[in-house]
Amino acid sequence: MKVFKNYRNYKYILFVLPALLYVFLLSFFPAASVVYLSFSSKTGFTLSNYRGIEQANLGLAIIDTLIVSVGALFIQLFFALLIANILIKSLKGNKLFSTIFIIPYGVSTVVSAFIFSLILSPIGGFANSTLVSFGLRPVNWYSSSLSELAVVMFSDFWKNTPIVALILYGGLSGIPESLNEAASVDGANSFRRFIHITLPNLAPYIAIALLIRGVSEFNIFAMPLVLIGYFPPLMNTLVYEFFSSSATESYSYAAATILLAIILGFAILIIKIGGVKKYEE
Amino acid sequence: MKNKDTVSYIIAIILSIVFIYPLYVLILVTFEPVYLTFGRIYPFQLPIILTLSNLINSFHQVGLIVPVIRSVEVAMLVSIIAVLLSIPAGYGLQKLTSRVTNKIILLMFVVNMMPGVVVAIPISVYFIKLGLENSIFGIAFAQELVVLPLSVFIMLGGFRALPKDIENQAHVDGARLHSIFSKVLIPLVKVPILITFLIAWMTSWDEFTYAVIISPINPTFPVKLYDYVSRGEPFVASSFALLVTVPVVVLVIILQKYLKGEYLSGGLNGV
Repeated sequence: MKVFKNYRNYKYILFVLPALLYVFLLSFFPAASVVYLSFSSKTGFTLSNYRGIEQANLGLAIIDTLIVSVGALFIQLFFALLIANILIKSLKGNKLFSTIFIIPYGVSTVVSAFIFSLILSPIGGFANSTLVSFGLRPVNWYSSSLSELAVVMFSDFWKNTPIVALILYGGLSGIPESLNEAASVDGANSFRRFIHITLPNLAPYIAIALLIRGVSEFNIFAMPLVLIGYFPPLMNTLVYEFFSSSATESYSYAAATILLAIILGFAILIIKIGGVKKYEE
Repeated sequence: MKNKDTVSYIIAIILSIVFIYPLYVLILVTFEPVYLTFGRIYPFQLPIILTLSNLINSFHQVGLIVPVIRSVEVAMLVSIIAVLLSIPAGYGLQKLTSRVTNKIILLMFVVNMMPGVVVAIPISVYFIKLGLENSIFGIAFAQELVVLPLSVFIMLGGFRALPKDIENQAHVDGARLHSIFSKVLIPLVKVPILITFLIAWMTSWDEFTYAVIISPINPTFPVKLYDYVSRGEPFVASSFALLVTVPVVVLVIILQKYLKGEYLSGGLNGV
């Protein structure tokens, strides 16, 4: 009987197979071939591609990518929590606020980057124009590598916070009102209620948001390409720069392999410590 | 209690300004004469002198119209394929034990984590052999990778929300699998299908990495816009950027009730 039941169950894998095969064929095999190509040359196994990129800004690109990804994730998570917490209260005008907060979702990444390049441009920028009209001194937002990374992070915050807020809002609305009420009857203040009720209940949603956004964050490409070009380098712009010139094309495989390793490492970390595991049981 | 609401209002209003301002800037550079915006060190920020000439000029940019049409075509293809593949996948996953389901979903997301540039480069090599490079099919097939796991996730959530008995009832009534699907199940998951379509469409409309690597010669709109910006001709592109952004923003606002976190985080509730 049990075998029969299993058989009945597993035939449904056939429904899933097309989608699974699609993702596998077009993603797994290309990625595997990149890893293979990164170690090979005409004469066989080689590490020369890795030695080559080591001399070409690899270390800087890794550090910058980590700064941007982790920084952007924290900023987005913080503001998304703030927005979700405001929207969950039944304030007057909430409908208007939620409409405004979703606008960036409809603005494509390249357009967002383009707008922020207009706003933050050191000459003829709208941000500086605002500062000057308030009697303040203009700021060169591109004065150092770190501030250039901050430009990318800020633009990315604008574009992607709405999606994180949507996910967290979904999680918040799933927490029963009675839990909070019971806690406040017991004398828990709003900070303690947030730590002991909201956060644990929200954890799986935060993990999902981190996973979805985190992976895209490490893949950040169009935003820095439009805003800061190839320098300071991020992993993706570095790979693309190598790829664009046939002389360094083989370097792009090595850089791509390292990017892949970073992302897989991050994903495993999130899945291990996040709430995703808990929900599997 | 009143006090806390005031704080919420202040935060909400500040954030609203932050979220609206960039769009305002785009509108401004579109409708203000160029000598007040791009022509000044400190652009003029109040809409005092308005003109339609930037907009009219942008209509003459054939170089931008074609990429927009291409972007729309690609986005349509991507969303149709996403719906076609994710309906059976979501249905099948919902039937499996949740342990198997979660493993498969996790696997799809892990495969999905492969960086765009990592996957796009070898794919572009395959596609050149298959004659798919610089074609809308090539871009669409590659972009489908980004969209598919989330689509399956959303459809899984949709099928999970259905009452369990519905299908059995149809079985008892003697309906075949084919007609159960077309007459009973599909109408019931209309909303998740719409969301899948919408999110797939938006993702493709937005996608840059695969588009620029697979189809640099026949670019989609984001790639073309980057091209203009990197050549230092932002004023040509700005009114066009507004023109293509407004419909999508309006669409998002109209359909915002469907864009819920519950869907974006898939069947998490039902597990």
